Amino acid sequence: MRLIKSVSLRRAALVMALFMAGLPASSSAPGSDIAIVVRPDLPVDNLSFAELRRLFLGDRQFWTSNLRVTLLVRAPGGHEREVVLKTIYQMSEAQFKQYWIAKVFRAEAASGPRIVYSNEMAAELVNAMPGAVAFVEADQAPKGLKVLKINGLLPGQKDYPLH
Amino acid sequence: MRCIVPVIALFAMLAPGAAAQTTDPATKELIEKLLSRIDRLEKRVAELEKEKGTVVATPAAAPATTQVKAAQPSATQAVHASHEAAPVPQAETPETAPPVYPVLKISGFSDLDFSATNLHGASGGFGAQTLLAPHSGFEEGQFTLHLSSALSPKVTVFGETTLTARSDASTGTPPAPGFNAEVERIIIRYDLNDYFKLSFGRYHTPINYWNTAFHHGQWLQTTISRPEMTQFGGSFIPVHFVGTLVEGETPAGGLNLNYDFGLGNGRGQVLGRGGDFSDINNNRAWLANLFIKPDALYGLQVGGSIYHDSLNPLNAPAAREWIQSGHIVWQKETPEFIAEFANTSHQPIAGGAASNSQAFYVQTAYRLPWFQKLWKPYYRFEYIHVPRSDAIFRSVVPDFHASTAGIRYDITTFAAFKFEYRHYVRRDGPGIFGFFGQTSFTF
Repeated sequence: MRLIKSVSLRRAALVMALFMAGLPASSSAPGSDIAIVVRPDLPVDNLSFAELRRLFLGDRQFWTSNLRVTLLVRAPGGHEREVVLKTIYQMSEAQFKQYWIAKVFRAEAASGPRIVYSNEMAAELVNAMPGAVAFVEADQAPKGLKVLKINGLLPGQKDYPLH
Repeated sequence: MRCIVPVIALFAMLAPGAAAQTTDPATKELIEKLLSRIDRLEKRVAELEKEKGTVVATPAAAPATTQVKAAQPSATQAVHASHEAAPVPQAETPETAPPVYPVLKISGFSDLDFSATNLHGASGGFGAQTLLAPHSGFEEGQFTLHLSSALSPKVTVFGETTLTARSDASTGTPPAPGFNAEVERIIIRYDLNDYFKLSFGRYHTPINYWNTAFHHGQWLQTTISRPEMTQFGGSFIPVHFVGTLVEGETPAGGLNLNYDFGLGNGRGQVLGRGGDFSDINNNRAWLANLFIKPDALYGLQVGGSIYHDSLNPLNAPAAREWIQSGHIVWQKETPEFIAEFANTSHQPIAGGAASNSQAFYVQTAYRLPWFQKLWKPYYRFEYIHVPRSDAIFRSVVPDFHASTAGIRYDITTFAAFKFEYRHYVRRDGPGIFGFFGQTSFTF
């Protein structure tokens, strides 16, 4: 029993180490939709895909004149990040990093996105920060947050673009 | 268990570095299977614990099946994106608290160059950073520090300073310093919203693409040097602008129209410098710049600018200057494409015929799909024509056309090697050819 426990722990440690080393790690089943979540009091319910891209590119920086967008992005390794880089940014990891370095260097943004390490952290920050927007696995979208429609569609609906 | 914690900690410390590495498909598949199995097991454990009515805390970076209660510590670990998304945790500032202003961020760029050409004399008007030196050898590139500091949610300061090696270091009386220190940009900007932003400061003049896309970050640009028409220290377009700008963006039915309107001092007595210490005459320079980035063609940017100033150069007659320019850019890497054109017109104030000088370049590159996509070959053709009648430009701007062929290799996500061959054909001198190398990086 002790041997089995030891082997299991070693395997768990190995997998955890690989996960933290930034290797492709899917926190849930790959292929599920990605939900865009905001605070319930945000005065936006729907975005076109083009608007969503402008938001994530940092081209649109304000929801309203008094509410600045705060972008929360998963750290490398998350399935959500892979989907967003592939569908919205159409960039590799390296291109994504270079994009934000250039964006700040051009004085087009004061800083890049904030990094979050889990859906829970994303949810907590979205709740706490007015104007924050994050992406999470749709089947794990936290209750109490608003899921934005993209092109009028919610995650799970046919033709929803983020998956 | 005691052995496992240090192992995990060690790998966690190595994680950022390892993130840039790649994995073979078999390993990737194995890891995904293992992770999937862990997910299933964790879900099963959660179900069992739920039945027993207990909750077990899991690490903040654990997969998303972690329960919300377990994530409480992670909220205080939220981080600013260090170098825009590098996953390196920083200060333990609670992000849920209101930000404490100013929020200063610093980044840097630098490069080291090598050049060997058949030029054995003066470069004849080319900018120093074109690297056409009379001797072969290594050259220190610019050491660039970039600062951005949010003073409030709507007010931000941006700064860019450089240190540039001097060719006359320690000569003269008093001895010249080894490096020139320069405030390249200092901007304070008030953002009312996306449509209207007002700023004051010293800018890179927004009348062409390259000048405001890459600034002094050699690592950001594909090639070793800028095109000559927008080279630092060159004169064809005014690289710097001191004054005020209004800028903004509007969706414009999916075209995403961006604008800049500026009013400033214009060129100084030395054409390659902006009027940092007041204007040299009572006529302000002004500019208008418009460009679109259509939703339907993600990656495309098309724009044009107009610029006007009154010049009082040191060794040429006073003149009115008009610049019209345009650009078309495909901001991707498969392929990358940048093309710009500018016409500069000089009308002597004392009377006489106007002169028009033209410059353009076309640059293309392609990120190769092999070898982990680290190689990017490129080619650029550039051209500058200055009529002999242009008294303002004829002694300071070279008339030439040139080809540049090279390749860029990305050593890491934040550093690159570049190697290129150039061939210049000059109107007023023999041709120049040479080999150039550079390592450039950001930090």
